[in-house]
Amino acid sequence: MNPIGEILSSKEIIVCAGSGGVGKTTTSAAIALRAAMEGKKAAVLTIDPAKRLASSLGLKELSNEPRKVSVRKFTAAGIEPKGELWAMMLDTKSTFDSIVERYASTEEQVEKILNNRFYRNISGTLSGTQEYMAMEKLYELYADGDYDLIVIDTPPTRNALDFLDAPNRMTDFLDSKVLKWFLIPYMKAGGGLFKVANVAASTFLRLVKKIVGAEVLDDTAEFFANLEGMYDGFKQRARDVAHLLQSDATTFIVVTSPAEESVDEATFFATRLNGSGLHFGALVVNRVHPRWGDEIEVRDRQLARLQQSDGDGPLLAKLIFNERAFRKVTTLEDRNLNSLARKVPRHRWVRVPYLEQEAVDLSGLVLIGDQLIAG
Amino acid sequence: MHLDEFLAPKILIVSGKGGVGKTTVAAALAVVAARHGHRVCIAEVDRKGTMPKLFGATDIDYKPREMSPGIYGMSIVPDEALAEYLDVQYHMKRVSRVFTSSHFVDYITATAPGLKDILVLGKIWYLEQGRTGPQFDTIILDAPAAGHMLTFLSAPMGLSDAVRAGPLHRQADWLVQMLRDPRRARVHLVTLAEEMPISETLETMEVLHNRIQIDTGPVFANAVYPAHLTTADVKRMDEILDDGALDELTTAAEAVGLRLEDEDLQALAGYARFITARRAIQVKHLRKLKQGTQDPIVELPFLFTAGLALPGVEEIADSIEEGVAKL
Ligand SMILES: Nc1ncnc2c1ncn2[C@@H]1O[C@H](COP(=O)(O)OP(=O)(O)OP(=O)(O)O)[C@@H](O)[C@H]1O
Ligand SMILES: Nc1ncnc2c1ncn2[C@@H]1O[C@H](COP(=O)(O)OP(=O)(O)OP(=O)(O)O)[C@@H](O)[C@H]1O
Ligand SMILES: [Mg+2]
Ligand SMILES: [Mg+2]
Repeated sequence: MNPIGEILSSKEIIVCAGSGGVGKTTTSAAIALRAAMEGKKAAVLTIDPAKRLASSLGLKELSNEPRKVSVRKFTAAGIEPKGELWAMMLDTKSTFDSIVERYASTEEQVEKILNNRFYRNISGTLSGTQEYMAMEKLYELYADGDYDLIVIDTPPTRNALDFLDAPNRMTDFLDSKVLKWFLIPYMKAGGGLFKVANVAASTFLRLVKKIVGAEVLDDTAEFFANLEGMYDGFKQRARDVAHLLQSDATTFIVVTSPAEESVDEATFFATRLNGSGLHFGALVVNRVHPRWGDEIEVRDRQLARLQQSDGDGPLLAKLIFNERAFRKVTTLEDRNLNSLARKVPRHRWVRVPYLEQEAVDLSGLVLIGDQLIAG
Repeated sequence: MHLDEFLAPKILIVSGKGGVGKTTVAAALAVVAARHGHRVCIAEVDRKGTMPKLFGATDIDYKPREMSPGIYGMSIVPDEALAEYLDVQYHMKRVSRVFTSSHFVDYITATAPGLKDILVLGKIWYLEQGRTGPQFDTIILDAPAAGHMLTFLSAPMGLSDAVRAGPLHRQADWLVQMLRDPRRARVHLVTLAEEMPISETLETMEVLHNRIQIDTGPVFANAVYPAHLTTADVKRMDEILDDGALDELTTAAEAVGLRLEDEDLQALAGYARFITARRAIQVKHLRKLKQGTQDPIVELPFLFTAGLALPGVEEIADSIEEGVAKL
């Protein structure tokens, strides 16, 4: 059976990962739509979709709740799903805010954190935040139990592996022993450097103060002080998410382009998934140039004569020249795919051709969905 | 534009959305500069290791190393840049490990957003000044992807505003001056002729001009399918297909002793249709790019023989030279 079909019939959560620009957002939307076509109630959580893709899913702005794609949109695209498609665009910052609200013990603590300058700086930018928040949202959606299938897109990372480590990176940072070791004495000393007894800590603080200034240090210290007592919540949730990701309900689909280094990165990523106790479901080789038959054998002399002949001769010469160019790409791609086949069993991957149209509307997604099931 | 003028700023910053060809174009620019007799250093900041591979070199590290004649490669890692900074600035030769541990760097980055970026830019400044280490005529920065790049380039301004006095304020100002001087630095954005990369390019450009005030050079529109067929060719091809008259091509082929099977005709038509459709999409997006910016655009061809290797980079370098000469 085709791996995507197999996944659709057995899994409840699909995570689409891969390096920048390979087609993660497109693939996740296409899979969710496919599931909806087959009668499921499917949700797709997209991250930074192209404007036109967002609008074909009926999304105008970031939202933290999925919206149902209207029947009108489907009718306009000439499709009639048996199930439902829900879509949302992740809003990282407000997800972070709502977590703070959940774990803080008092209203005052919430206010203090949300207004803290350090928090405002990091809540959108701290490395790993977007990934953590995507996971958080996934967990909430799953816990609600409203959907048969949740497909989640992942942020563009420089390399697919970053995605796996990201949520931990964020919690580790928030709960860093090193930081607390320095900051707690500072806070206790009421911000006075000289009162910090620990020599190493005070050297560190002096240096930080010199580099970034006292105000910044105060903001940070205040933030960590307010966060105190919330780490357990964060970490418990991170553990729960990790469990969910490792459970039988979840699988990962790794998207790649047919380029050599992209394929290499993707296979390495698949291995890493297994090593981390995560389920590697399938590899999608996306945007493979189309193929028709075998290379046409033409002698250069014949080509030259075609170019000089009249009627359709010169056109034919150009057509052959064009065909030859594409054979070079497909040969290279085949080489990469063959080497992929040696590393990942053939029934674990599918290829999706480079469409002659842009895959930004529902009908494009249907085409990709068909290929995902057929490839 | 003459190449002398094109290569006048010592620092060329290459950026764009993920996967659009930044590293490939950065490498091609290095080849252009080296052909022009410049000693070039190309700096990678993402530790991805793609760039040395393009030159057939093994790994690179913080210390510039010659990858091919006249082209040096290095990888700027914030931890090492911090160690160098602390050493140069505070003469802390043997800094405690804590200070250069990644947690510390993370912390520093978070406390003063952008400090990590400043460390990287600071290293570029050291290279530009050439007070220590090898001297370079051209420094090419294979910069982070566009969104990150804006944060990256605005870091010195942010810091210079946040820290009102002291050595760090002064140093941040030096970096701002470096970035804002068109004789010293310039950004080249790379994009694909597709919706998302182009809208990101235009947004980025706006911020580069208005907020960061850094000079921008030609935008490189990468991987544009070449016009193998003219409009007239496409029209004729449509006629043939509409009439189901592919055998007219068979006749033309037979005239030169070439036998085309049905399958061959399908392939010729299929690839013709594909390149025509993709080009039409690209041309449409390129038009949007042209409407959205006053900067010149240099189109770089899609390489049918791509794959990570020097010959492809040389070909892109040829196209850059041609494109720049026409400006
Ligand atoms: N099979 C395909 N055929 C044609 N176009 C495609 C195909 N797959 C994706 N695309 C197009 O390629 C572009 C990039 O796809 P997409 O946005 O899904 O990538 P991504 O991996 O999510 O990128 P990012 O890393 O920036 O989030 C989009 O314009 C999309 O429409
Ligand atoms: N003109 C081109 N024609 C065909 N393929 C190309 C072209 N330019 C780049 N590529 C291919 O596209 C892929 C991405 O290129 P590259 O690594 O230079 O992009 P990048 O923007 O540096 O990516 P990243 O954001 O991951 O650092 C590579 O496989 C490369 O070989
Ligand atoms: Mg995406
Ligand atoms: Mg790169």
